[in-house]
Amino acid sequence: MDISSFMAGLSIAVQPINIIWIILGGFLGTIVGMLPGLGPATAVAVLIPITFGMDPVSAIILMAAIYYGAMYGGSRSSILLNTPGDGSAIAATFDGYPMAKKGQAGQALAISAIASFIGGLIAVIGFVFLAEPLAAFALEFGPAEYFLLMLLTLSAIVALSVGKMVKGFLAMMIGLALSTVGIDTQTGVYRFTMGIPQLSEGIDFLIVIIGVYAIGEVLYNFLNIDDQKKEKKKVGKVWFSKDQWKRSRWPILRSGPIGFLVGVLPGAGGSIASMIGYTTEKQISKKPEEFGEGAPEGLAAPESANNAASVGAMIPLLTMGIPGSGTTAVMLGALIMLGLRPGPLLFQQQPETAWALINSMFLGNIALVIINILLVGVLVKVLDTPAKILYPMIVLLAFIGTYTLSYSTIDFFLLLIFGLFGLMMKVLDIPIAPLVLALIVGVDMEQNFRMAVLSSNGSLGVFFQSGVSITLLILTILSLFYPLIIKLVKRKSDKLSDDEQVYKSS
Amino acid sequence: MKEVTSLKALKLIVPFILIIASITYMIASWNLPDANLGNGNGPKYFPLGLSIFMLTFSIVYFIQEFRKRDEENEEIREILSGRTPKLIAFTVVAGFIYSLLFERIGFLFSTVLFLGALLFFINGRKKWMTNIIVTICFSTISWYAFSVLLGVSLP
Repeated sequence: MDISSFMAGLSIAVQPINIIWIILGGFLGTIVGMLPGLGPATAVAVLIPITFGMDPVSAIILMAAIYYGAMYGGSRSSILLNTPGDGSAIAATFDGYPMAKKGQAGQALAISAIASFIGGLIAVIGFVFLAEPLAAFALEFGPAEYFLLMLLTLSAIVALSVGKMVKGFLAMMIGLALSTVGIDTQTGVYRFTMGIPQLSEGIDFLIVIIGVYAIGEVLYNFLNIDDQKKEKKKVGKVWFSKDQWKRSRWPILRSGPIGFLVGVLPGAGGSIASMIGYTTEKQISKKPEEFGEGAPEGLAAPESANNAASVGAMIPLLTMGIPGSGTTAVMLGALIMLGLRPGPLLFQQQPETAWALINSMFLGNIALVIINILLVGVLVKVLDTPAKILYPMIVLLAFIGTYTLSYSTIDFFLLLIFGLFGLMMKVLDIPIAPLVLALIVGVDMEQNFRMAVLSSNGSLGVFFQSGVSITLLILTILSLFYPLIIKLVKRKSDKLSDDEQVYKSS
Repeated sequence: MKEVTSLKALKLIVPFILIIASITYMIASWNLPDANLGNGNGPKYFPLGLSIFMLTFSIVYFIQEFRKRDEENEEIREILSGRTPKLIAFTVVAGFIYSLLFERIGFLFSTVLFLGALLFFINGRKKWMTNIIVTICFSTISWYAFSVLLGVSLP
């Protein structure tokens, strides 16, 4: 690790303006993440317009803070209302909600905040050591390797939506097809623009993202808007007892590294990390029967793991320019928009940007734990605000956000179309992440494919030439068998039955 | 009975549309103009290959849904029942009208109308006081935040 770039990064991250962004992002992210049904991807998508006009470093710092804030916020509503914001917060309901029901809401919130904090810190340390070597390794990649890496990421994210692989692949292909609209960058040929001049530069993926994640999610939440729970929770003192800390500390320390590694893997993310954290602790616990009844370790482990995973997920994004999850895909979209291209060269050409982000993650975690412990009273008030008031605001923010992209109201129509599209996907249980991911990497994927084939005079053999290519190919094929493996494992142990819904929803 | 049939039809209609879309995409890829630079067929390969996969998966999806056509999908039922269809339609139509008004009558005016309409429809007329306060405060704050703080030029 290069100490001077590390320090340069730190000095950028501690600039007062960036500290303000970290706190603001963490706060806003927490609020959106707390809304039932809305997760980090929606939070980043809706809040993207704030980053326009900022310099890219501050923008990525802000987005990362929103991301982590939304992760924290998701667990708030899991614990207090039993309604997770997204897949990665589901595991927090298993023991967090029972704790709150027993009158330990304050303790549960404190454990979750501290567990997330420590998990996040462990992951940041992992990040510091893993990022640069990985970036250096990725520098060796040619177009063939990049194409295969993108293919692996896409197939992994589809494979992880167990039970709906066909729909997942369809979502991915629709995303890729949408990415082919516009002028072909290699030849200048207009493709699928249907004579509409606005389409010549392609479909703006940020509009698709805001449409499916913000409008689509709000429309989807209309399905049960009238029977959303109204529970008033007494939070009490937000701190935990000595005994609870004793029970939580090892699960936190064990789940952090697990979550980090899962987060780094393409396609896997917070949902899977938190489930693995939870089941591991349950299996090695001396009192597994207490899990699900409000065991502090059953809350601490998944919370530590999912926050560590969200930091880990930034590694493929920054070092290779390939997002591994819906949320990081959204962030990549916003960064490209701002003219910052994450990838292996980022660490060589703009090391201070990369290190500023890493340092800001560290500071962001500190800010979030403070926000979540000290300001918990204010945050819980947000949960009391009826969704019926908050959803219209989200819709409005989505429209304003779209307008700031191109200053044209024509995009509003696209926004509505993709909002309805997102609603339809949710209702038919078609995973959205593969679509978004494919749409964003689609152009690069095709260009790399063509460059690779061109470099070998039209032979597809170029994809089997290097060791890296072959490994990536094997991993891609293996990822397709992931659902089969899960099925076999499940048949063997029925103990895991309560994970089922998480794998399905991830 | 009629409802059950329409639910079944709804489940099959999406895979059917996907099949049609894949075929359209395939034909459109085939008919793409040749490039003057490099390999003339360069722009075609990727979309063509993609369309073949898309068609295959759409057909598999159709078959899957056809086999499961008698299974209940709770959410399709919900989307058609109670207040939900009205809420969705209202939001989309209001959004459409907002798009038309936005540049004509200016951000602040159109936003007050849009947000107000959404709140009155979703939150109910009984809470008119809250609705009006939220509408005015949020519209003004967002106008201030975007046009003054973030420098976005709003109409």
